[in-house]
Amino acid sequence: MGDALLEIKNLESFYGPIMAIRGVSLKVEKGQIVTVLGANGAGKSTLLKTISGIMDPEKGQVIFKGCEIQGQEPHRIVQHGIVHVPEGREVFPLLTVDENLTLGAYTRNDKVGVQRDREMVFDYFPILAERRGQEAGTLSGGQQQMLAIGRGLMLSPEIMLLDEPSLGLSPLLVQEIFAILRRLNAEEKVTMVLVEQNARIALDLANVGYVMEIGRIVMDGTAERLMQSEDIKAFYLGHQEAGQRDERRWKRKKTWR
Amino acid sequence: MDMHMAPHPQVTLNGVSYNATPGVRPVRVDGCDTIAKLFARRCSELGDQTAHREKDMGIWKACSWTDYWTHAKWLGLGLRALGLQRGEVVSILSEDRKEWIYADMGIQGVGGIASGVYTTDSPAQLAYILNNSESRVLFVEDDEQLDKFLEIQDEVPGLARVVIFEREGLHDLNHSKCLFIEDLYEVGRTFEAENPGCFRDEIAKSQPDDTALLIYTSGTTGQPKGAMLSHENILSTMEASARALTFMRSDELLCFLPLCHILERNVSVYLPLAASCTVNFAESPETVFDNLSEVSPSTFFAVPRVWEKIYSKVMVLMQEATPIGRWAFNRAIKAGMARADYLMQNLPVPGRVAARYLFWDVLVLRNLRRMLGMDRMRRGGSGAAPISPELLKWYWSIGVRLVEGYGMTENAGLTAVNTVEANRLGSVGQPVPGITIRIADDGEIQTLGLNNFQGYWHNAEKTAETYTSDGWLRTGDVGQVDQDGYLTITGRIKDIIITTGGKNITPAEIESRLKFSHYISDAVVIGDQRKYLSCLIMIDQENVEKFAQDHKIPFSDFASLCAAQEVVALIEGEVEAVNHEFARVEQIKQFRLINVLLTAEDDELTATMKLKRNLVEQKHKALIDQMY
Repeated sequence: MGDALLEIKNLESFYGPIMAIRGVSLKVEKGQIVTVLGANGAGKSTLLKTISGIMDPEKGQVIFKGCEIQGQEPHRIVQHGIVHVPEGREVFPLLTVDENLTLGAYTRNDKVGVQRDREMVFDYFPILAERRGQEAGTLSGGQQQMLAIGRGLMLSPEIMLLDEPSLGLSPLLVQEIFAILRRLNAEEKVTMVLVEQNARIALDLANVGYVMEIGRIVMDGTAERLMQSEDIKAFYLGHQEAGQRDERRWKRKKTWR
Repeated sequence: MDMHMAPHPQVTLNGVSYNATPGVRPVRVDGCDTIAKLFARRCSELGDQTAHREKDMGIWKACSWTDYWTHAKWLGLGLRALGLQRGEVVSILSEDRKEWIYADMGIQGVGGIASGVYTTDSPAQLAYILNNSESRVLFVEDDEQLDKFLEIQDEVPGLARVVIFEREGLHDLNHSKCLFIEDLYEVGRTFEAENPGCFRDEIAKSQPDDTALLIYTSGTTGQPKGAMLSHENILSTMEASARALTFMRSDELLCFLPLCHILERNVSVYLPLAASCTVNFAESPETVFDNLSEVSPSTFFAVPRVWEKIYSKVMVLMQEATPIGRWAFNRAIKAGMARADYLMQNLPVPGRVAARYLFWDVLVLRNLRRMLGMDRMRRGGSGAAPISPELLKWYWSIGVRLVEGYGMTENAGLTAVNTVEANRLGSVGQPVPGITIRIADDGEIQTLGLNNFQGYWHNAEKTAETYTSDGWLRTGDVGQVDQDGYLTITGRIKDIIITTGGKNITPAEIESRLKFSHYISDAVVIGDQRKYLSCLIMIDQENVEKFAQDHKIPFSDFASLCAAQEVVALIEGEVEAVNHEFARVEQIKQFRLINVLLTAEDDELTATMKLKRNLVEQKHKALIDQMY
């Protein structure tokens, strides 16, 4: 076991009266890609929002490099090196690609470093370099997602929280973006927490996975182990178990073991 | 009806007439000597009154006794038209629903034998039961259960037809053996048009000693065996329960345990038939607690596991309550306990104790009962496994009169029962009227009565083992009878642990104490031929998770929860507390947690979610070996 860069202990968060996370504990080691799988409403996005300070937890701790950071303001958390790339690629539509990236580095003072990171972003996402003068709102969905990730990279983060980067993208684009994430992890040593509904691609990329259902972790393990699990196969990888009839409506009961 | 036997003097109990002397032939309920005849009589008497209620799209819908009659008739005649002969077996593989009961009565009406199969059984188990019972027809609930048949269809050549209750997802089904229930009704309707009065004629042919049903018992060793129960056996249970368990015409009941089990079958089919009660079907096993509070039944029978769950639920709610709420609750329980001490010994409750209870009842307990769906409950019953005396007392303290009873498949489900009037804590009550018990030299409880079963289907060898040479039924349970006739069960003969120190220990007592902890869902004590006792424990997921959460103990999945030091320490504390109540040799020296979350589909659990000792010992041998 390496050092835990980020550790979450017994986190509970509420959306109004609803307990969206009911006691989640997980560990992210330096350099790892950890994926959190789960269906709609499992609490995955709430988890990321609680880590990045957008939501305050009711109970539990978020420990980053040994310090408790739960409940801090989002801008403080960003300064620790935790960057949240939210779901739905929220770029500033009326600003250009360049301006979006500049805004991403808003909290930084080292011009040289910022310039270097901008070049790095363009290196990973050449299409953004081509469109650097274009308004972000006019980019395609995939390009906006790249920009959102690129903007996150402008903070030279230690850990990136990625909320469903594959959402609404074509399979080809998803492949492309995930290949870039893999490179970023390998070359730039960016640790990542990846929340995904697309389990296949997420487990393919990640080292470790957690499965969330209605606010709880029901299973965890290495990506290889999860991929072998009958439950994951049936419920997340869409394997149709060989049935007696062509169309089968019912599914096996989950056991999570 | 037999005219050659002189009818016995009758007595009327809650509007139903029975033999004045219980336990003599012919057993009659309102003059009927078979289930089928009684069914016909009830349906014509009660007509448009409500027999069943089922929840459909969120709304409780009522079905009358006429519906009951008509559908059972069509179903029975349909089977007849498809070639079912008297004395042949028909299996039913479905969750509880009114069609289950329609099938039961339809099959029996035309002289068939109804046999239930658990929905949690695997295709292989289904194949075994179909072949062993030589079932001619199988009723399945839906596509999921149908697929089990399709998987083993080549292994069950004797099965002629499969009838499906639910059409959903099966519109394209084209299989020569399969038909839908509506089709079967149609066949029956046509048959009736051609043979008017045929169903009544068939019913009239039924005899008390005809086998009415097969109940497959979940054998802990070997394959399940089909216990044959006759009409007389069941009527004898009706007769006994009319005296020991009051059911009234106005009673509302909730059906939720598997109907394949003799307990639920009695309390949701046969006893309501005798007493003309209304049965409400729970939507699913997951919604039982909601359905319970919606229905608020007059009497409610459940296995200890369900009573334990309800208790845990209340405990957890209390922990979350405001300090004032908690204080009030604790005071109310205290007042309730003081009153329960008197009530449970049938002593008059002193005025002060009664007044204090009344105060807290109005303030707290009445609301609690309403919330749980126990505000109309005249009596709660627990059976099929031992329940801890503390739990019983807790229910009495909140104003729910919960009594423990005892029975087994082989004697049609009822041997002894405590009543609200004659209740002795820790015992399973006095033998029911018409049934005699004795304790053999080795401590085994043996019973004699008209409820004793006919034997195992095609298994003379096992049948012979179950009866003594003088015709008493061996229950396999060990127990004692006190001077007032109350029976106490200490365990199963086969489960008796003989440690290497030579001490005989019945594990059931220790296990039931352990289960009273709301962190422990079930436990298996081990120690036969070993130096000391050890124990495998299944934790209660919900409550232990809550504990972990409250105490900031990180965990991810179930296995990691079981592995957490603090959780092990918690259970250790619970085990320690139980150990204090037992002698040194009966204390548990080591324990391990079963770190897989077991479901009803797992072999280790019975359909009523009890751990099966033998299978647990086999499957978790590695864990057990660690302890020695």
